[in-house]
Amino acid sequence: MTLLALEGVDVFYGDLQATFGVDLHVEEGEAVALIGANGAGKSTLLRAMIGLTPARRGTVTFDGENITRQRCDLVARRGVAIVPEGRRLFASLTVEENLLMGAARARPGPWTLDSVFDLFPAMRDFRHHNAAELSGGQQQMVAVGRALLTNPRLLLCDELSLGLAPKVVGEIYACFAGIREKGVSIILVEQDIARARSASNRLYCLLKGRVTLEGASDAVSLDNISHAYFGDRRQ
Amino acid sequence: MSYIEAILNGLTLGGLYGLFGLGLALAFGIMRIVNIAHGEFVVLAAYLGVTLLAVTPLPLPVVVVVVAAAAFALGWALQATMLNRLLGPNPVPAMVVTMGLSIVLRNVLVELYGADIQSIDIGPLQNMGIGFAGLSIGLLPILIFVISVILFISVNLLLTRTTIGRAFRAAADDHEILETLGFNRRRIYNAALGLAVALSAVAGLLLAMRSSFTPFSGVERLLIAFEVVIIGGLGSLRGCFLGGLFLGVVQVLGLKLYPNAGPLFGHLAFFVVLLVRQSNLGPLLAWGRK
Repeated sequence: MTLLALEGVDVFYGDLQATFGVDLHVEEGEAVALIGANGAGKSTLLRAMIGLTPARRGTVTFDGENITRQRCDLVARRGVAIVPEGRRLFASLTVEENLLMGAARARPGPWTLDSVFDLFPAMRDFRHHNAAELSGGQQQMVAVGRALLTNPRLLLCDELSLGLAPKVVGEIYACFAGIREKGVSIILVEQDIARARSASNRLYCLLKGRVTLEGASDAVSLDNISHAYFGDRRQ
Repeated sequence: MSYIEAILNGLTLGGLYGLFGLGLALAFGIMRIVNIAHGEFVVLAAYLGVTLLAVTPLPLPVVVVVVAAAAFALGWALQATMLNRLLGPNPVPAMVVTMGLSIVLRNVLVELYGADIQSIDIGPLQNMGIGFAGLSIGLLPILIFVISVILFISVNLLLTRTTIGRAFRAAADDHEILETLGFNRRRIYNAALGLAVALSAVAGLLLAMRSSFTPFSGVERLLIAFEVVIIGGLGSLRGCFLGGLFLGVVQVLGLKLYPNAGPLFGHLAFFVVLLVRQSNLGPLLAWGRK
């Protein structure tokens, strides 16, 4: 069953058009990767999905309901959560308070403070620290945990690996299996193409706001990806 | 009145000043709104208190609660009907609107009550005092100080122990992310301005019991609130409280030295703080929240 579908989505920042007629869909339980160069429109699409920057044209459908211009908090309560680029933890709140904010307006579901601590056991040790004192990897765990505590049906992950050491990125991605086990669908935006392929069922490549490639992650060839990623400038 | 008595009196006055500052700081910290009508709300609360005491048989403590509730509703309504339309990176539209509102409120008060000096008569409590170690302090200022401290502690508990309080702090940090967690930002803001106005209203009503006021007192109250916030540092409860105490003590001591000085010494002290702030007073006074 299709959980999320974008049809002909054009997103604008003021007069600047960021995406052009994007069609995209995510099935229930699926993990989909969005890859593409900086400025390709990946984060913009995530913002349109959760209602932070609503699409000006086209439709966004979630679980059969048109949510194109629905307010962000209402979309969130329908079951869309985001792990934003750069983590964006509440800096004056402690780790636990950050997590509690995720849980406060949560839908009913399997994720509780305890199950999130089970997913990232290290988090128990710094739960009372101020969010601003954490390392990048620790912050990323909290950001994922905070989003999960809303009990989403669809989790949008924006550049989880940004600014993190490879080992730490591995630890973050290792939790994906545990998240998908509980039936959460995932859209992940990722610069690291190998990482994106291994963590997803299907992928979309964006170039300058347009979808240039769509396919099963283990089926598309690197050559195709490279072509879709960089366009025709390549010899 | 000895100097020690003056300092103690200043502290009891300073608790109220701290509350004035707290109302302003909450609105600015959470919504980035500079509420120019803050002082008028403080005075409005005093007039509402006078009226309720005159025309209803309600006892004083009940009047305080009623005024606080009315002020909360007023703050909520102001945010919901006007200020939520002006959200955005530019703080000026909200300043202009609240400035206009302050002019309207001031003139409505003159129209309704006249420009005469008013005060709230609280009966025998006014003249009761406590004497110890040769000092004598009025019972009313002590009572008012205790109420201020309780309000500060309550706000601190609200901000750290409750969902709505954490949401206030989270909204100040990153309102977009708060929305992605399912919070209606506008409703959070409504509650925040309601709380800010309610705190200031209680402070205004209490101040009206120990000093006089006119429809034009709002400007003076607003000035004090600004000074408290700037001395204490934005976003800091303890800073507001200490900033208020500091201003209160300086003002009462100044009045003791020169009875005609009015609030001059408070303003001078604020000026001095601004001057030396860069060097060493800032970190000392601007304790951040934990």
